[in-house]
Amino acid sequence: MLTLSKYGKILVYTLLLIYTMLVLVPFLMMISNSFKSMRDIYLKPFSLPTDPSFRNIIDAWNQAGIGRGYLNSLIIAGSAVVGIVIISSFFAYAISKYEFRGRRFLFMYSMLGLAFPARLAIIPIYLLLRNINLTNSRLGLIIIYIAVNIPFSVFLLKNFIDGVPNELSEAARIDGANPLQIYRHVVIPLIKPAISIVSIVSFVNVWNDFFFPLIFINDRSKATITLAVSIFFGEYANRWNLLFTSLTLAIAPTIILFLIFSRQFIAGMTQGAIK
Amino acid sequence: MKLAKRYLLLFVLPALILYTLFIVYPLINSLFLSLYSWPGVGKKTFVGLDNFRKVFSAGSFRNEVFNAFWHNVYFYFLAALIEIGVGFFIALMLASKIKGARMFRNIVYIPNMIPLVLVGFMWSLYLNPQVGLVNQFLKLIGLGGLAQSWLGQESTALTTIILVNAWRNIGFYVLVLLAAILDINPSLLEAAYIDGASNWKIIWRIIFPLSFSTVRTLAILLFIWSFNVFDMIYALEGVQAGPYRSTDVLGTLFYRTAFGGLGSSAIDMGLGATITVFIFAIIMPVSILYVYLVEKRQRSA
Repeated sequence: MLTLSKYGKILVYTLLLIYTMLVLVPFLMMISNSFKSMRDIYLKPFSLPTDPSFRNIIDAWNQAGIGRGYLNSLIIAGSAVVGIVIISSFFAYAISKYEFRGRRFLFMYSMLGLAFPARLAIIPIYLLLRNINLTNSRLGLIIIYIAVNIPFSVFLLKNFIDGVPNELSEAARIDGANPLQIYRHVVIPLIKPAISIVSIVSFVNVWNDFFFPLIFINDRSKATITLAVSIFFGEYANRWNLLFTSLTLAIAPTIILFLIFSRQFIAGMTQGAIK
Repeated sequence: MKLAKRYLLLFVLPALILYTLFIVYPLINSLFLSLYSWPGVGKKTFVGLDNFRKVFSAGSFRNEVFNAFWHNVYFYFLAALIEIGVGFFIALMLASKIKGARMFRNIVYIPNMIPLVLVGFMWSLYLNPQVGLVNQFLKLIGLGGLAQSWLGQESTALTTIILVNAWRNIGFYVLVLLAAILDINPSLLEAAYIDGASNWKIIWRIIFPLSFSTVRTLAILLFIWSFNVFDMIYALEGVQAGPYRSTDVLGTLFYRTAFGGLGSSAIDMGLGATITVFIFAIIMPVSILYVYLVEKRQRSA
């Protein structure tokens, strides 16, 4: 760690404070505007809500379809996370702990997805889903999200499983455990931190995605939260009080998740494919 | 250890099949589609390399492609300067002995939790020329002369979008760089202090060289992502990428070509696929370098 002189400290604190304001003020304004009337937003932009009410929240909730957006995003992100964790940990376990031909190739092959964003393949993916009648469907999105998140999850899980001592799985094998039992009773309990990182990070990735729903979903009742708010912005361009409120509502769940799990988020990022 | 075949299949196949079918196969399939002209339904017409000729030989489509391409290039360099350059500086501040570093670290990352497209919508309201917060604030502090239509004029639109994008993404770069800096053996810094080295010297001679591989990885990833930007432009300027296409990037051009948009010419999925192949070719060398570096580090670990 760098040691600072007294003046250095003052300078650093000042700069960090300015930066913090730059980050937080737009947030706080958004939240504050969610409780103001349209007139107050235009005429008194910097004042706090004078007569705070939940009117905007009720209106935005109903008109933007926030509840349905939450539910769709929750179903999609929740199911995708379950799939991602099971499928990726299977794969990572096999290429980390067992020797077989093509194992190194499989690892590099799965890394390609980190280097080539899936959205470059959006047209063929779209056609593929159309052929099996899974466009405009939540299941279609779930399948795509599982596939998209495999590279990152495999990478992170493999790094953790590499750290599980071979003696442990060897001992279990001698005791007569089969590979699936070793996976279930030896490996999984030891990589729980990695599983929670993968779950939380991929949940937020899916929840926050906009591009795939934009292309695949054209039925408002199936819109995810990002798509629902985006449609709402197109329709109510002048109702700023409701627009701010819909943003606050759409953003709240992930911010709350972050406040609870900030450690996992930060670990997921710094131990992901960067380090 | 050896693994019985049935277990190998059980562990490897689900991921392998999903990933191959829905990611790898579509990526390759784009290449084939780029040889066709096709509105998405009905019969495909084989056109050979005609789509590529449209991209590379003189004509209005080539102009549109390269207009967008240079915007992606500009996006990359300005984003790198802000997100990696300024990001490194912020990471250094967070790596010094100050109280509350942990709290600052969490605050820095908050904007990353918001979907890009919603960050875009939020700032579209703040940047409104008449009643937006940004111009109102400038007037409040007596700089009303600077107030302008940030997103509505060609001279400032793209730069403004890159700044909004940096507002959202910089926390990621700060935290990754911070982790790299904190990874440096503290005894190195202590020894340098004992030798009487100044902070600047330590940053330049020890911290920068030892975190260079992280900077390089981030520069690679930012390059790949910069050629895939879409959400932010969509939210702030729409798929028409106004004013007068001054914020058009390959992502929005692709969207208009393959899926249409108000006032676009006929939908052509073949030509759209050609644009993705073009993007693919641009990021290919960098992507291969990235996979190589990741693999090398795995083996040495």
